[in-house]
Amino acid sequence: MATKSLVPAKSKAAKKRDGIFAPTSLFGYFMMLPAMSVLFFFFAYPLSFEVWTSLTDKTLGNDAKFIGLDNYASLLTDPDFTTAARNSVVYVTFVQAGKFILGLGIAILLHQKLVARGFWRAVVLVPYAMPGFVAFMVWKLIYNPDVGALNIFLMQIGLIDSPIAFLGQRTWAMPSVIFATIWRGFPFWAIMFLAALQAVPKELYEAAAVDGANAWHRFKNISLPGIRPVILIVFMLSTINTINSFEAIWLTTAGGPSDATVILPVFAYKGLAAFQIGESAAAALSLVPVAMIFTIFILNRLKKD
Amino acid sequence: MLVIVAIFVLFPVYYMITLSLRSQSSLWSKATLLPVDSNLDNYRAAFANTDFKRALLNSVIVCGTATAIAVLFSVMAAYSLTILKFKGRDTLGRIIIIAFLTPGALLFIPLAVIMANIGLSNSLQGLILVYLSFMVPLGTYLLIGFFRSLPAELEEAARIDGASRMQALWMVLLPLVAPGLVSVAIITFTGAYNELLYSLVINISPEMRTVPVAILNLSVADEVPWGRTMAFSSIAALPVMALYFAGQRFVVEGLQTGSVKG
Repeated sequence: MATKSLVPAKSKAAKKRDGIFAPTSLFGYFMMLPAMSVLFFFFAYPLSFEVWTSLTDKTLGNDAKFIGLDNYASLLTDPDFTTAARNSVVYVTFVQAGKFILGLGIAILLHQKLVARGFWRAVVLVPYAMPGFVAFMVWKLIYNPDVGALNIFLMQIGLIDSPIAFLGQRTWAMPSVIFATIWRGFPFWAIMFLAALQAVPKELYEAAAVDGANAWHRFKNISLPGIRPVILIVFMLSTINTINSFEAIWLTTAGGPSDATVILPVFAYKGLAAFQIGESAAAALSLVPVAMIFTIFILNRLKKD
Repeated sequence: MLVIVAIFVLFPVYYMITLSLRSQSSLWSKATLLPVDSNLDNYRAAFANTDFKRALLNSVIVCGTATAIAVLFSVMAAYSLTILKFKGRDTLGRIIIIAFLTPGALLFIPLAVIMANIGLSNSLQGLILVYLSFMVPLGTYLLIGFFRSLPAELEEAARIDGASRMQALWMVLLPLVAPGLVSVAIITFTGAYNELLYSLVINISPEMRTVPVAILNLSVADEVPWGRTMAFSSIAALPVMALYFAGQRFVVEGLQTGSVKG
């Protein structure tokens, strides 16, 4: 093996210094202990427990009996599950697209604003600074047919004659929740993009302008590539968070009307509330392959820089 | 243009406040976007409501304690993963990142069952432990970025000058990553304070509820007392929003440093 001869063998002293029982290593393990304990008891163990439970028929009160992949099989044929999965895809796709467009657009606006930029940045941060549960209760109010601002406004300007139950009708429910989620989440994107835009060296723009590039070209060829790593990271962090969304749906529609807005976390929660523990565990775990594929995809694109 | 953005961003807050100042009968009789019939009854009701005050206390205790623990654990872990060298370091680092990227909706079921099994269900201590499960990976991830942004030779230089590793950490490195500590404290505290799912599933009785669950429970069978809910929500939002705006600089810097250099 060629590599073996190229790397010199460690001297005995070096082995002692870097070995597992060396002072540095022991210190390292000691410092890692608290975090790793948390990770073991509240991440690794629950995860294995969940995988095991998903392979059983556990409900409240009975003992779990191993049933192999039956839970997964019955989920795949369960129309409620496939609806929830489809809703999750629709929800996450539109929400993330909206956050990206709105976040980037506002970042560009703020980037060009030279006066009181800090003030405007603080204003833009408001939806993200407020607790999620407050944001979604407020939107539940705004969409309400009796006292909500949206209906009052639309009727006052004569666009509609009678109130629309935005969260109570199948056609409107999902778009309404998507819009509220975008409102709540875009500031994270805007702030991160703004900071990234401000880090792009100004000389690049000046040189391009001298060469005759117009605003669009400068944006496409300097700004976008310049903030590409930040776009990818924000995209990854935000999407993992959004796939996870529970309160966005639960507080506004509780999955309704007639399960029209049920996404996977809500589906799993309803299963747990019905004490279908084995099956809910399987449903929750179905998030894993998707999240993993997505994360690996993003990390690969990042490495290409 | 920015004025349109401001309206888009601030209108819901405006509406929340105007409605929090109106009674239920006012809401039913007058449909308007303007602030009318303003009074502080809903806020008085909030301060008189023992369940709500209890929930506020619970949230502060749980989130404050969890944040203190999480910052400590995260500093220790991030320091080890960036400054120290030991066997298995990279593997442990990867495990932390995987835990960080794991959505909470994945683990709420086993965590609820485990908490019930060890008798910590429906308790503040149990909720603190459960919150640590996402706060520690998050904090560690952010602090790794901060530690990595320090000059590489700094720690060695301190030790050559005679400091022990703990002294080097405490007297040289920590002061330099102090903005990172503030940022982690704010981000993890608000993450825990805003958290709904774990709290809903694990702390069930009214005395053990946290603020998000208390506000959810103001509504009974699809009937939402809007004025009251908005008043309670405004009060609930204050601590977190104050933190965010006071620490805005830290939060933005923390997210950037953690994400781009981490």
